[in-house]
Amino acid sequence: MKGMPVVLQSDVGDILHSRGFLIVAIIIGVITVGAAVGVPIALNWWLATGLVWEEAKPLLELFMGLAVNYVPLIVLFTCMATWATDPIAKEKAKGPIESLLATPLTARAVWIGKSLAIFLPAYIIGLIATLIVILAMNLASILPTTGHFVLPLPEAFTSFLLLPLLMFALISLGVIFSLITNPVIGQTIIIFVGVLLLQVVGQVGGRIWWLLASWDYALYNLAGAALLGMIAFYLLRSLSKEKIILSSKGKWA
Amino acid sequence: MSDAIRLEGISKQLGEREILRNLSFTAKQGDIFGYLGPNGAGKTTTIRILLGLLKPNSGKATILGEDVSRDEARRKVGFVLENDGLYDNKTAEENLWYYARIYGMAKPAERIDRILNLVELRDRAKDKVGTYSKGMRQRLALARAMTHNSELLVLDEPTAGVDPSGQIEVREVILNMAYREGKTIFLSSHNLGEVQRICNRIALIDRGEIKLYGELEQLQREMSGNEVEIETTEAISEPLFAELKSLSPLGLRDRKDRVLTFVPQEGVRIPDIVSLLVRQGVEIEGVSKKEASLEEIYSAILKEVEPS
Repeated sequence: MKGMPVVLQSDVGDILHSRGFLIVAIIIGVITVGAAVGVPIALNWWLATGLVWEEAKPLLELFMGLAVNYVPLIVLFTCMATWATDPIAKEKAKGPIESLLATPLTARAVWIGKSLAIFLPAYIIGLIATLIVILAMNLASILPTTGHFVLPLPEAFTSFLLLPLLMFALISLGVIFSLITNPVIGQTIIIFVGVLLLQVVGQVGGRIWWLLASWDYALYNLAGAALLGMIAFYLLRSLSKEKIILSSKGKWA
Repeated sequence: MSDAIRLEGISKQLGEREILRNLSFTAKQGDIFGYLGPNGAGKTTTIRILLGLLKPNSGKATILGEDVSRDEARRKVGFVLENDGLYDNKTAEENLWYYARIYGMAKPAERIDRILNLVELRDRAKDKVGTYSKGMRQRLALARAMTHNSELLVLDEPTAGVDPSGQIEVREVILNMAYREGKTIFLSSHNLGEVQRICNRIALIDRGEIKLYGELEQLQREMSGNEVEIETTEAISEPLFAELKSLSPLGLRDRKDRVLTFVPQEGVRIPDIVSLLVRQGVEIEGVSKKEASLEEIYSAILKEVEPS
């Protein structure tokens, strides 16, 4: 994996200086502020009906569950959909990827460098956005009502570790596809799985909301990450310099 | 001198198409090796195999003694590919720093500065590459190829799409690299004039097979048909031309103004022809042994291999 940190650092720099980053930052800023303001208002409205703590607890867990699952998921998904495949498509079409592969870098070093370069900024932004929303909910609604902060451990674990792990597995899968086939395929996979995950969280929150705050739900996320990771690991066998070159635009002879 | 590049029986198939067939040749250290061939002949595929980007179906390729499949081999080679592969959103300096770090160079600043100077881009070092002309991009790509001070440079059509003045600049950089920096250069090109001017050894590939390979000067002599041109101060008379023509061992072929072309038979030396002419009262202005141009060699070889 020699040279991987160089690819990672360069790609992160490119992402941070791109127009796409600015657009994503604005979208996520709006979502975060909306959630940080809107969720406490909704919570306070419920709490104002005179619920006692025992009655309010499930409600708080539902709101908290939705916030800690939805916010990082939306942030990671928005970042991935914007950054994951377009730069690779351009590098393949214009030639930098071929030059990169003609160095001592291995195809796996390029893959892991590019996957981490997409994931790390997305993770940090997601973490900040989620913390802002959690803090706003606690300070504006929960603390005045209960006298203490609320963040169930399974939810924290899912939000800060397992969901990002799941998303990293998805990014690495998308990057493999982008490298060895048409990048549009990689993007389609990321968008399809991302939308599916958003749907699942929405459905769970609407029907079996108590599951969001459970270790079971954390385990489902872990299983999902493991499944995507295993698929990515299996596909790594197909990742070769030859596959990347031949799937790039350019003459063969 | 040891081998810089050695290809032994390399074959490559992509899908149903056989791109390279049993390719073998050697470039010695210190060579400026010209690799010629029409579009689709297999030049880029050969280069991709040399750089470890494609795996041959059979055969063995080495760079400075290392198998091309090993990462170590790629540390010893700098390259310019058909697409220059530069990052438009980075400056010239940033592009070179990026590659210097990939090659694990600890303190590349001085080297980068020296190379930018060599390719005459130091004053544009802080400009984004997206603003560069094609010629400047190619010079920067050459600079990138030299960043890690490799012994061998593989250049795939480095002057393609560059205007004539840009071509001269790129050519000067290549010659500087060869003679000032002592690099071995493997140059794939369509530009026969360019190859003839700077290369000492060539290989000609067509439809995946090597059709001609060897030292350029020797090939030029071999392909010239042993022609000798003698220039006289005045055009010779018709009777003298007829008399000389009748002496078949001299092999007088042609007369154009003051230039006589001979293809002497074996055993007849050039001084013999000159002294005969002098005895006949002809004043000689110059004698030259004609060498076939690369263009003539190229067309002759490709005509030979064309299917009837």
